[in-house]
Amino acid sequence: MKRKPQEDVEIPITPMLDMAFQLLTFFILTYHPSPTEGQFSMNLLPAQPVINMNAPAADSAASNSELPAGLKTLPTTLLAADDGMLAKVTLGENQIEGMEAFTKELTTILKDPTLPFDQTIIKVDSRLKYSELMKVINVFSELKVNKISFAEMGADEGTPP
Amino acid sequence: MSASSSNSLKAEPNLTPLLDVVFQLITFFMLVINFSNDNYDSRIKLPVAGSARPLDDPAMLLEDRLILNVDSKGQLLFNGKIFSGGQAVEQIKFEAQLARENLKTLRGKKVDPSEGLPTRVVIRADRDTPFTPFFNIITACQTNGFRKFDLKAMNGQ
Repeated sequence: MKRKPQEDVEIPITPMLDMAFQLLTFFILTYHPSPTEGQFSMNLLPAQPVINMNAPAADSAASNSELPAGLKTLPTTLLAADDGMLAKVTLGENQIEGMEAFTKELTTILKDPTLPFDQTIIKVDSRLKYSELMKVINVFSELKVNKISFAEMGADEGTPP
Repeated sequence: MSASSSNSLKAEPNLTPLLDVVFQLITFFMLVINFSNDNYDSRIKLPVAGSARPLDDPAMLLEDRLILNVDSKGQLLFNGKIFSGGQAVEQIKFEAQLARENLKTLRGKKVDPSEGLPTRVVIRADRDTPFTPFFNIITACQTNGFRKFDLKAMNGQ
């Protein structure tokens, strides 16, 4: 009995390889590894007065959460130098120079159990660079103060009398 | 004459492993490619902040987002156009109206003025942007009903 010669079915791989290389080239050319971006998420309500003069006086027995928002808000003022860098920080009524001193002072204030602060309003010099503002927000964020609001400092504010 | 000597020799390299490798590379690039960065402007040099965390909550990824790039002069870069001062405020007003219309038509929901819009505003401001234009943009957003904000910074760690 005579056997039929075995037929080899060959699928042409070359065109598929060509196409695969074209796809690979496209992905290599469009690939831009972007650096990791972080963010500070916050809820910002429209500007409103933080101190309500008609608010009832805080009861010493009342818990911290019952205090009016104005009493829990730590006012922070950022003064800029001529080049837009941070020159001076006023935390409450304390004037501080330098980021390290600011971090130290803020840590002391927030760790003090007699002080009710859990939020801040940052009054910023109009010339201050955004990077400097972010450094301050970063310090607040590290100390778990996430309720932050912004205000712009007037032209005549912050200058020595 | 034998049959084997008459056949011409064929040199056929085995392309299958090569194809496998190429497909693996294509799979890798398909997985890591990110088309969603189209709104991110490479002209913006973000400030560095150590405690700025990358977006890790999957629910936040599904939120409607409005990405506003602010350059070092305080101009708003949006949809490939440059808006300065009053134009930026008008554009934000327009985007807020658009967000309200979308909510109304797509979800049949009316925005409660006290709650504000559910859209999250992502602000990517340049490190050298002065405070005033940045504050004006935030104020314009707040006035037009935006409440949720993300301030972008490079993760310094």
